[in-house]
Amino acid sequence: MKRFDGGLFVNWLRELARRLSILARRRQFDADLAEEMRLHLEMRQQEHLESGMSADDARAAARRGFGNLTAMQEKSHVVWGWEWFENLGQDLRFGLRSLRNNPGFTTIAVLTLALGIGANTAIFSLVNGVLLRPLPYREPGRLTMVWEQDDHGRPDNVGYATYVDWKAQNKSFEDLALYGSWQPVLQTGEAEQLNGLRVTNNYFRTLGIRPELGRDFLPQDDNSASNHVVILSHALWARKFNSDPQIVGKSIAMNATSYIVAGVLPASYQSLMNQDPRGGTVEIWRVLGYDVSQPFACRTCHHLVAIGRLRDGVNFAQAKAEMDTISAALVKAYPKEYSAPGVILTPVREQLLGEASTPLYTLLGAVSFVLLVACANLANLLLARATNREREIAVRTALGAGRGRIVRQLLAENCLLALLGALVGLIPAYAAPRVLAAVGTGGLPRLDGVQLDWRVLAFTFVAALLTGIFSGLVPAYRLSKTDVNESLKKGARGSSSGATRVWHGILVVSEVALSLTLLIGAGLLLRSLAGILMVPPGFEPAHVLTLRTSVLGQRYDDNKVLRQYFTDALERLRVLPGVEAAAAASQIPLGGNMDRYGFHPEGKINANPELDESAERYCVTPGFLAALRIPLFRGRDIAPGDTADTSPVILINQAAANRVWPGEDPLGKRVKVGGLDHPWLTVIGVVGDVHHVGLDAAPSMQMYIPHAQWPFPDGDMTFVIRTTRAPNTQASAARQAIHSVDATQLVSRVMPLEEYVALSVQGRRFALILIGAFAVIALLLSVVGIYGVTAYTVAQRTREIGIRMAMGAQHSEVTGLLLREGMVLIGVGAVLGIAASLVLTRFLASMLFDVTPTDPKIFALVVTLLIVVAAAACWIPAHRAMRVDPMVALRYE
Amino acid sequence: MPRDEIPPGTLYLLILKTLARAGEQHGFEIANSIQRISKEVLQVEEGSLYPALQRMLIKGWVTAEWGTTAGNRRARYYQLTAAGRKQLAVEMSQFERVIGAITRVIEAV
Repeated sequence: MKRFDGGLFVNWLRELARRLSILARRRQFDADLAEEMRLHLEMRQQEHLESGMSADDARAAARRGFGNLTAMQEKSHVVWGWEWFENLGQDLRFGLRSLRNNPGFTTIAVLTLALGIGANTAIFSLVNGVLLRPLPYREPGRLTMVWEQDDHGRPDNVGYATYVDWKAQNKSFEDLALYGSWQPVLQTGEAEQLNGLRVTNNYFRTLGIRPELGRDFLPQDDNSASNHVVILSHALWARKFNSDPQIVGKSIAMNATSYIVAGVLPASYQSLMNQDPRGGTVEIWRVLGYDVSQPFACRTCHHLVAIGRLRDGVNFAQAKAEMDTISAALVKAYPKEYSAPGVILTPVREQLLGEASTPLYTLLGAVSFVLLVACANLANLLLARATNREREIAVRTALGAGRGRIVRQLLAENCLLALLGALVGLIPAYAAPRVLAAVGTGGLPRLDGVQLDWRVLAFTFVAALLTGIFSGLVPAYRLSKTDVNESLKKGARGSSSGATRVWHGILVVSEVALSLTLLIGAGLLLRSLAGILMVPPGFEPAHVLTLRTSVLGQRYDDNKVLRQYFTDALERLRVLPGVEAAAAASQIPLGGNMDRYGFHPEGKINANPELDESAERYCVTPGFLAALRIPLFRGRDIAPGDTADTSPVILINQAAANRVWPGEDPLGKRVKVGGLDHPWLTVIGVVGDVHHVGLDAAPSMQMYIPHAQWPFPDGDMTFVIRTTRAPNTQASAARQAIHSVDATQLVSRVMPLEEYVALSVQGRRFALILIGAFAVIALLLSVVGIYGVTAYTVAQRTREIGIRMAMGAQHSEVTGLLLREGMVLIGVGAVLGIAASLVLTRFLASMLFDVTPTDPKIFALVVTLLIVVAAAACWIPAHRAMRVDPMVALRYE
Repeated sequence: MPRDEIPPGTLYLLILKTLARAGEQHGFEIANSIQRISKEVLQVEEGSLYPALQRMLIKGWVTAEWGTTAGNRRARYYQLTAAGRKQLAVEMSQFERVIGAITRVIEAV
């Protein structure tokens, strides 16, 4: 049955296509038909002539046999369905004329619609570019992330050894690959730190991407002896290697060693797997080349991410069931190397876009309110205009136009209006991606693909048509019921009927309700952002400059040389004018890194050490606390005297002290970090908590370890410099100071610490700015609408006002009368708006901080604001009416 | 001999059948074929052929192409499509059902 319907539909589409193709060539078609009929007549006539008729008789007989020529031609037209199109053309032409004759009305209407449709197009282009565009992989529906599950049921990265077992034992995946973060320094031209990934050799085959140039990684590349093989992104190839067609097989210098280029990826592929949210797009891939015997390939070395392609016909549940079984067996075999059995599968689409989808759809919902307000406004305008057009319609009805035809004509006019509005609205929508990028989108993926493609244009077109029809229905219905006799009798001036007033009322109420809902949403977001910015971060971000470096060069493989380099660089930084303190750390708060190590306190280690807590690890030089002004609560700070030759020490934060040693003195306690085979570290001090992940996330356990003592001192470090001057003015001096120690070292991401704080709330700011802008637009439109309706009512009632005043009514009484009507509508709208907000603000819940979605203070504040503004929009025209001279008013007709 | 109006709705059937038999014909030939084969009994108002042909073009039952007649004049030739042949079968069976029913009614005692 379904199939049958589908066939019908296809036939219908084909038929429509044939009709349209004929319509496009209608002149040709007319000529063809005429020629065909003429031929027919002539041949028949010829036949009659040959049978001996006279010429005249022959022609007459032929005509008789043929029937009415014109009627046949017209019938053919009807068959093609031209009448409909021809009428539409007429309607549109008429509409255009009517709009041209009312330039004021047309301008206001088009601008209103441009705002509504433009804002919607802009947001839809965002939704389309980020969420709806297909992912750049072959059959992305079969791709899934595979996580280990930790003892809290949360997803966790995997260690290489686990992956090897997973890959060997599973039957659910066509292929299973790994990737991990890699940030090499490319030494081609000016040295540059790249954002890259280490991947297993089957990574691109798993995703379904082939290099455009050269070859994919091969299994023989993927071993610990010869893994210096890379693949470049198209952009990197163009930017750094001038799109050299001979690049494949060449060697390039990175991290002071050389790598062979195996291939270049197509330009259409933009990596979405990004390990570092602040690091930009991934531009280079190196084969992983691990070996299970390597220390960092262990089961507890959770630093790799697994992604798999399900076999055709295997669903997620089946794959999860199988992987759970494999995982359970592994946990049994290595009980001390896993915290819990089980895996978590996250479809790749959800992994990449899941986080962005709620805010984006919320924005789309919010912006649709703006369009609804614009619709209501336009309907109001049309309704007011309808009253003045009653006579025109009456004349046309009297001349024989059917009601359906009149409604259609009015709708055609509105659709024309809406399309004009959409056209104007496309201008801001076209600029939207750049504007949004400037506003800062808070790490939305795939923003580069946001543009006005066919899907967006189709959306705009449909939105415009619906707007035109929707806002035109009420006025058109009203007009089509025009009583011909009454209207013609009344003369040029119309007067609003009761029904029109009711419709005006409904429209004002809905405008108020919609605007109020948006305003409340914006209010809640504003309150949240303000609340977050009030959160003390645990350090003082002002007056601190940060510079990132990634030490390269073989001589730095010697820990001593590496440590000396940082000591020397910091010495030179400290003597710069205006510098109060300087230090370096492996990561900084709100910097986007997630570097956590297992925390194993003496006497409290679990039988399975994997179940122990973990803490954020800061590997720091002395002076880090002073540079960031992190308070030291107890004990002492890390000192220059804590070196590789002295007993290893550690600082912990208050959260760690409370959690691990509640009610005990943590000072002097010992702890192992990162594994039980590591040395004991002695707690020498307790410091304040800092917000590491975000201002909205409660700080968790943190530890500070001297760079001079950690057995694998970090080479990827961030300098933090507290200065008395504006941090940015110190940038070049600081850079020079570092380069004076070793000019070959790369310094990147030079920015004030305050910028990291700003970046961490960027997503919220983005949502606030947009919803705030929508709320303001909606409020403005509503004010215009309320003002317009009140002014219109006043104008309609000028005579009544004149009479009342002539009878001795006070100005205030009459104003009150007019205001009361408006205020009732605003009040009803406010009540509906509050009710809608109570239901809808829960969609904002994930974006709120320290405020409930139904916060009474925000509600009260916003409602007051709206009522005051709306009342002003009512009062101005009402007050104006009072200035009318009663005599003029009475003579008004 | 008096000529009879064709029963309503059968015009498509007649055109389809004619084209199925003849392969390719222009409007005048179709009209003539219908009259000749019906032994001049069926009277088609010749002009009404053309709206019907247009409709059949839209439905995709026939295609049309310009060619030249034996007398070297330009004429539009119509030809059945696969959909047209299918339609012919449908119309035939429908027609036979109706005629059969009518026959049974009149022959019933």
